[in-house]
Amino acid sequence: MIQRWLLAATLLVVFALTAVAFVFGAWWAPFVAGVAIGAAGGRARVAIPLGAAVGLLAWSAPLVFDQVRYGLGPAASSLAAIMGFGHQGAIPLVLTLLVGTLLGLTGAWLGSVARSWLPWRQPATSR
Amino acid sequence: MTLDPTVEAPVRDDKAHAPRGPAVTRRRIGRPRPSGRTINAIAALVVSAAVLYAAFFGAGPLPALGPAFNPVTGAWTMAAEAQVSSETLHLEGLQQPVRVSFESDGTAHIVAQTDHDLFLATGYVHARFRLFQMDLMRRQGEGRLSQVIGKAALDSDRFELQLGLLRTATLEWSQLTSSDPSRDALTAYAQGVNDRITEAESSHQLDAMFKLLGYEPAPWTPIDTLIVKGDMTQTLNFTDTPLVIAQLDKSLGADLTSEWFPILPPNQQSPYDPGPYGTATTGPIETMSQVSDSVAATAAALYQRLAALPPGLIATGGASNNWAVAGSMSASGGALLAGDPHLHLTLPSIWFQLTMDSPGYHASGVSIPGTPIVLIGHNQHIAWSLTDAQNQQTFYYLEHEDAAHPNQYLWKGAWQTYKTVGYDIPVLGGPTEHLTVKLSVHGPVITQRGQTTSVWWAGNLPSQDLDALLRVGQASNWQQFRDALRDWHSPTHNFVYADDQGNIGLISAGYYPLVAAGQPWLPMPGTGEDDVTGTVPYDAIPQVYDPADGIIWSANQRQVTSDYPYYIGTASNFFDPGYRANEIHRVLSLGTANGGKLSAADMMALQTDTRDFLASEIVPVLVQKLAGEQLSPTESAARDLLAKWDYRMDTNSAAATIWSTFWESYLSETFDPWWKSRAVSIDRQEVDDALGQDLEAWTLGDTANQAFSSPGNGVRTAFDVMLKAFHATIETLNKGLGSAPKTWTWGRVHTRELENLAQISGLSYGPRADRGDANTPLAAGGDPSTHGPSWRMVVDWGTGTFDGIYPGGQSENPASAWYTNRVDTWWSGLYARMLTADQAASSRGTVTWSLGS
Repeated sequence: MIQRWLLAATLLVVFALTAVAFVFGAWWAPFVAGVAIGAAGGRARVAIPLGAAVGLLAWSAPLVFDQVRYGLGPAASSLAAIMGFGHQGAIPLVLTLLVGTLLGLTGAWLGSVARSWLPWRQPATSR
Repeated sequence: MTLDPTVEAPVRDDKAHAPRGPAVTRRRIGRPRPSGRTINAIAALVVSAAVLYAAFFGAGPLPALGPAFNPVTGAWTMAAEAQVSSETLHLEGLQQPVRVSFESDGTAHIVAQTDHDLFLATGYVHARFRLFQMDLMRRQGEGRLSQVIGKAALDSDRFELQLGLLRTATLEWSQLTSSDPSRDALTAYAQGVNDRITEAESSHQLDAMFKLLGYEPAPWTPIDTLIVKGDMTQTLNFTDTPLVIAQLDKSLGADLTSEWFPILPPNQQSPYDPGPYGTATTGPIETMSQVSDSVAATAAALYQRLAALPPGLIATGGASNNWAVAGSMSASGGALLAGDPHLHLTLPSIWFQLTMDSPGYHASGVSIPGTPIVLIGHNQHIAWSLTDAQNQQTFYYLEHEDAAHPNQYLWKGAWQTYKTVGYDIPVLGGPTEHLTVKLSVHGPVITQRGQTTSVWWAGNLPSQDLDALLRVGQASNWQQFRDALRDWHSPTHNFVYADDQGNIGLISAGYYPLVAAGQPWLPMPGTGEDDVTGTVPYDAIPQVYDPADGIIWSANQRQVTSDYPYYIGTASNFFDPGYRANEIHRVLSLGTANGGKLSAADMMALQTDTRDFLASEIVPVLVQKLAGEQLSPTESAARDLLAKWDYRMDTNSAAATIWSTFWESYLSETFDPWWKSRAVSIDRQEVDDALGQDLEAWTLGDTANQAFSSPGNGVRTAFDVMLKAFHATIETLNKGLGSAPKTWTWGRVHTRELENLAQISGLSYGPRADRGDANTPLAAGGDPSTHGPSWRMVVDWGTGTFDGIYPGGQSENPASAWYTNRVDTWWSGLYARMLTADQAASSRGTVTWSLGS
């Protein structure tokens, strides 16, 4: 139980740090967070989805905030038009969230790979 | 494949210890088989690298996805940036507090306590709503589009740097003395723009296009403002007509070219300045002679180069209206003024509507973002608008060179060395290109294919137009207005004027180059004899003040009669065919005949008038001719529609479609055989304005003109050709629109589109069925029509009312409510009341910014 709370608290801190980093233009923060999760976390099958979730949450939270404050419909529609997708506002939205998710996911994946190559994680046969 | 290395590890180990089979394979390959852990690591690296690359640098058409779509600082901020609310802002450089009020439609009212603050705040407001547009305009003029777009813009950049807007703007800036009011205005304006750039960068609110293109705007300078002015000059009066006429001359021969493309218009027009005129200070211009092969070849090569440039860099004929009615002829007792400049209709618009109010400057109207003044509008005492004057301001010179004198040209009997200027053009995704521009005494060398050709263009003369406009805005009577325009050089404009005392005036201010000799409508020898030697004196340029009939008008027509003693351009391509001017003159004359009075409502109706003057002349002749002919039922029905037609190009008019198709067919039947037999390389439709004037004149007064007896067609008259064209028209429409003529409505074949400035079709408006054509006061040439009334303004000094509208909105942000909010009003022919700053401050829905230092 304590470990779960610890995990949740860690995720919350990571998410908050990532969100703050955004304000300073550090859009790649979810990738770094993902690496940290992958490297420090447990099994990769847990760390990688967690990294993806952090990326998704980190990139979607500001959009949710803007949607509540201003409404994102015209902006989404305009971005779709600029990108050549007519007025299919869902496309830039999905693309944006996909970027965030992939950043978190690949970060965690890379982190977990790095973790598996660390000396204390090497299998006996490879020594 | 699982992504979990801890799961894959045992599998990998199993394979590592698997006997024989794999070992054989291992020997054949010659190296150990990679383990699952290695594969997983490689896959993680590759996928991560791909994601990071796309995020940092973009992929294919996609921008760098990370910064572009960063939900806090990327393009999504357009949602927040679209919001405008009352707030207090701090701008560096302000001397006193400034109030900016925005009406619910976005019209801005800036009230400052010093002139400096007024221009600074104007710069800030412009940049807040139009920074990307301003950046594009300066980049175009400065030859810096390739830096953000890539090599696709290189031709445009090379041309602009050759032509020299940047050189001219730099020279203009250097000539402004420290005490010049326009220097202060330019400096303060630049400060305001830069205040916004700094603010937008720190708050991550730069326009989304900057983020998607991945660059930040450089600081604004006064020279950038002068470049924007140069852009407008270029698009309105840098012409290629001498190159066109040279090719026509070569293929059609000098006789036909001089007859079909004459100096004076062949048709009946309505010049606004009937004279009397003074005596010319230069000799007569030569008549047209046959051009040589080398001149024609050089003209053709240069013409093709210019034709390949993006639209808007070469003036292709103007279309604007303005007129005024004296107080004695108006229902309100005060002078009336109407103006609607016709330009490329874009989103965002070229215009930004505002009121500028300070102790030394008060003006309300429209400004061009990037410039600190109201270009068209009114102050407390006078109102003004403008149309393009269309006189020739571009002359091409063929430089005489010799292999024995490299890098030199012969001028006035001596070999002169070309001056050179070097430029580096940064190119996105490619190496920086170096460009060397050669300059002769005539101007920049614009081509070295064939004969080296330089261009003399009035837009390259340093001209303190901004100072002139500042003084226009401060004028309170005709004398001050006219004096202010004395220093206006280019582009030449017809400035219409009406004041609060009931007076009206019109002056075609600008530079009217005088050529010593030669044929200025063709490329001329650069050896000195045919040089530009001066300009028509200011008192001799076209102008009227308080004419006896109480009306004045301009619509790009030739302003003066055949008695005018100076050459100012040819009828082809320089001046408009005159149908809009004729229609405006007709309506104003009718309205004031027999003691009639005109009102502001009449002005508005005339601005949206769809009556085609040319049709009103030709269709009765056609109908009369068809009366005695054997026609099919469909043709008879079409003829009946024409017979009952009121000559209005309305969307529900079938006769309008028949007329438009007939006129094109009539031109084609008359001239295409000549084009084919003489192998004319110029697209006939490009010179249809000139040929149409001929055809109109011949149909009404010279039906046996030799042009109708074209090669291969024997002897024909105008009526023979009209009949053939009518049959072809009905056949074409029958095939394209069905067999019922009453269903051939104009709205089915004629549309209008407001194009996004960055050519993003999804952010354009339309195409949508619309009324009008190229000849109607409500101009709508082409299909889809992308030119037209870019701003409509009507002033009634009797009632003290000012109304205006432009298609588009104040904001360039497509997510803003002010992106297209004015389009429907404009499209319907309606107007918005132009309020004073005080009226706006107290009206509903007004948002106010308090600006302080």
